Amino acid sequence: MNTQLNLKELERKAFLTTYQDGLWDLLFGLIVICMSVSFYRPASGYSPLNIVMFSCSMVLANVLFWAGKMFITLPRMGQVKFGARRRKRVLTMIIVLSVVVLVQVALFSFQLAAWANPELGAKLNESLPKSDAIGLLIVASISALMVGPSIILVAYFIDFQRGYSIAIMMALAVFLMVYLNRPIYPIIIGILIALPGVVLLVRFLQKYPLRREEASHE
Amino acid sequence: MSKAEENADLAALAEIDRLVHEPARLAVMALLYVVDSADFIFLMNQTGLTWGNLSAHMAKLEGVGYIEVKKAFKGKRPNTTLRLTDKGRLAFLKYASHMKHVFGDFQG
Repeated sequence: MNTQLNLKELERKAFLTTYQDGLWDLLFGLIVICMSVSFYRPASGYSPLNIVMFSCSMVLANVLFWAGKMFITLPRMGQVKFGARRRKRVLTMIIVLSVVVLVQVALFSFQLAAWANPELGAKLNESLPKSDAIGLLIVASISALMVGPSIILVAYFIDFQRGYSIAIMMALAVFLMVYLNRPIYPIIIGILIALPGVVLLVRFLQKYPLRREEASHE
Repeated sequence: MSKAEENADLAALAEIDRLVHEPARLAVMALLYVVDSADFIFLMNQTGLTWGNLSAHMAKLEGVGYIEVKKAFKGKRPNTTLRLTDKGRLAFLKYASHMKHVFGDFQG
């Protein structure tokens, strides 16, 4: 038995307990499911409704996540503020992700511009290979590359080990969603991502029941 | 060798801060040392102490100024936040260095 008091390990263990509720897994799973439904491409093509649906479902998924943290996790597990090192990591993540999101927004805006402007759309189509399958393969790969590395970055900065496998599954879901245009595959992947979250949440609720002792201050 | 010299090593043990040395309080202080602040429930879950136990140790540590306790309400629920003071941080470091010094290169 290692009886040495390792303060770094103690801090890390305390930090990792904040992932025991499975809410991050549920959030990512829900995001994939929402994306699958919102970005299904009907025969008539994409419409602004896709963007509206996607935005609304993203807001809903995030609201559910924070509500879960607020009303399920915190009353059971308690609240902790970590030291300067963790705060610095989160700040770095915000800066790095802001750059990534800016690039993604630029690409997305370009796509929107191509939809709105048929001339630009035609030029863009010309730049893609003539074969629809290869063109779609390129678009699907770019879409997957937009999602996967961002989630890997998030996982790295928030020290979320399961995040790496989730990132790969999310990238695969996006790829299949764009390439095959069948929501069922990404929905299955979304469920696979969320499933461990459900198990963890049930275990968490059993392990950390609501405490009544703090009905008054000590 | 005089008796005082013979007992010099053992005298080092008497200088150990008993307030920090108690295992439950040591666990609380070690945890508060590595985080910025934590509330009562988080500390209970992490240390495995009961509400009464933690409450008693908290009062002792607060009494000597090793921790700072803030009582507030989050919505309708009372919330007690604990933070290690500079004095407490120093006491913990001093205790750790003292224990290292006492045992030295003891191999068991």
